[in-house]
Amino acid sequence: MTEIKHKTFLFDATRCIDCRACMVACSVENKIPMNKTRIWVAGVGLKGEYPNLERASMVYHCMHCNEPDCLSACPVGAYSKRLDGPVIYDPKKCIGCRYCMNACPFGVPHFDWDKGLIEGAFIDKCTMCTQRIDIGLEPACVATCPTEALMFGEREELLKYAHDRLTGQPVRYINHVYGETENGGSSYLILSHVPFKELGLPDLPSQPVKEVSEAVMGLTIPFALGWGAVLTAAAAGVHMYNQKKEADAQKLEPSEPQAEETK
Amino acid sequence: MKVQITVHPRFHLKPLVVILLALMGIAFVIAMVRYANGIGAVSNLSNSYPWAFWISFDLFTGVAISSGAFLMAAVVYIFELKEFRPLVRPSVLTGFLGYMMVVVALLVDLGHPERIWYMMIHWNHTSVLLEIGICVMTYLAVLAIEFAPVVFEGLKWQKFAHFIHRFIMPFVILGVVLSTLHQSSLGSLLLIQPAKLYPLWWTPILPILFFISAITIGLSMIIFESTLSARYFQRGLEIHLLEKLAKAIPIVLAIYLVIKFSQLTFAGDIKYLFTSGLMSVLFWAEILIGAVTPIVLFSIKRIRQSANGLLFGAVILLLGMIMNRFNVSWFAVTHPDPITFMPIFMGQVTYFPSLPEVAVSIGIFSAGILAFGLAVKYLPVFEEEEHHDTK
Repeated sequence: MTEIKHKTFLFDATRCIDCRACMVACSVENKIPMNKTRIWVAGVGLKGEYPNLERASMVYHCMHCNEPDCLSACPVGAYSKRLDGPVIYDPKKCIGCRYCMNACPFGVPHFDWDKGLIEGAFIDKCTMCTQRIDIGLEPACVATCPTEALMFGEREELLKYAHDRLTGQPVRYINHVYGETENGGSSYLILSHVPFKELGLPDLPSQPVKEVSEAVMGLTIPFALGWGAVLTAAAAGVHMYNQKKEADAQKLEPSEPQAEETK
Repeated sequence: MKVQITVHPRFHLKPLVVILLALMGIAFVIAMVRYANGIGAVSNLSNSYPWAFWISFDLFTGVAISSGAFLMAAVVYIFELKEFRPLVRPSVLTGFLGYMMVVVALLVDLGHPERIWYMMIHWNHTSVLLEIGICVMTYLAVLAIEFAPVVFEGLKWQKFAHFIHRFIMPFVILGVVLSTLHQSSLGSLLLIQPAKLYPLWWTPILPILFFISAITIGLSMIIFESTLSARYFQRGLEIHLLEKLAKAIPIVLAIYLVIKFSQLTFAGDIKYLFTSGLMSVLFWAEILIGAVTPIVLFSIKRIRQSANGLLFGAVILLLGMIMNRFNVSWFAVTHPDPITFMPIFMGQVTYFPSLPEVAVSIGIFSAGILAFGLAVKYLPVFEEEEHHDTK
């Protein structure tokens, strides 16, 4: 069996010209109505004073985390992580609880607020265009990007490539590849010339946010069994103690129980 | 102490019943609009606020105020403190109705209410929400079993009532285990949001804090509902029992405060106590109203021994602790700043619950109050169980 290569996006904020062609391409490819989208371009706006003006924009979609928190949170297991990278959502299992939206530190999954029971309200998010990458094509957003701000490939290679860019042009970039370690690493790597926080990316440690929650969940069954045993023992102990006390009391007044029995 | 209740099976609508029915009707209509046109049609929920008023009020508050049921069952059946027996039935009824309200509210809130049973067949064992779902569903069944004898007695089926009563112990223990699990797991639900929940609230020991505060909420709820129903249904009040419950509250609250503040100290979050603006205000409001004031009030003997004092203390504690639930599940949760990176469909950045949203919760709550009233009227909820105590 050959090793499955982990696919990844690389986004370079210095190359993005805010044309939003990726948003159009995504909508067309995945048949998403224009009032909704799985990908969005956010601009930081103009910064600085003339003539030293600067602006930045960020293409935002699912980070396809290596340790997806949505997958951890979903009660019915509607999420899955494919070995080649994409985090996939299965609408057939979804009960619409929206816990994944709370869990995702990037605020990626979004919900059909305008759909009733008949149309069906689901979560929607980027799928890494699995229908395209399965036949060897790049995702629609990457294929359409005119400046190669978005790139797609194998994770190891793209990571190396990103670091090469950082070392090659240290003045141009902030010396960090966002997504290399954040939240356990993601399949969306980002290079930027402005602080990542300004692009709307949360400051996350390398352990995924789901870690504590999963550790506590792991204690559930042992705790339930132990607590059940303690309570049973307590109930039995109290009962025996009370019975003994009653018996002792009856010993002192032997006429009492007989009188009660004859009642 | 015997309390005589005269049952009038005659049906006559009092003004309160009419109001409750009207509120239920309004909620029903709103729910239908929601089913037809989507959650966004009736609520202000958005991608920036996927959970807010409904979850904070219906789920977090609803489950917390139902905790009296497992407390009283444990006190009477496991620890055999039989004097508290008169409080078991009303608190089990409150618990059962409380959880029913939670489920009904979730049927409005879930995107796919018709799939709620998927939780029983698709298990993702890392999900805290799954644990809560399973616990709540099972516990609802346990509460139904615990309350069944009352229904059977009301129907004069003494044999069935007796039969269930003989096998009640395993269910009581199961109920306490399930309650411990999901009362604390409501806190675990927020553990996945370390980046979103403000550090004054986010801590790995959230489940422990939730469990301890649920105990105080449960005790206050018993005081609250006993004093109110004594007033409304003109029955005797077991004030000597309520006094004992009230005496326990300051101890539990003191433990809560010690754990809460030592956690903040050890985590190094003490610096946020006075410097976080609105968050500091919310935090201190919750601590002062929900913990400090009740400790003072319930430590005063005169307050514990008067019906009004008990009611007042219980209401104060409930307000503060419910505020705690709102804080952790809504007020102190900040989702990633939408303006920066979601300009298109995260236009609605601020959130305030819409009127229909609140009306749904009020309608469901009204149904709970009405059901409680009907149960008290037609079933021996407040009667002493003389026939069980005879040997």
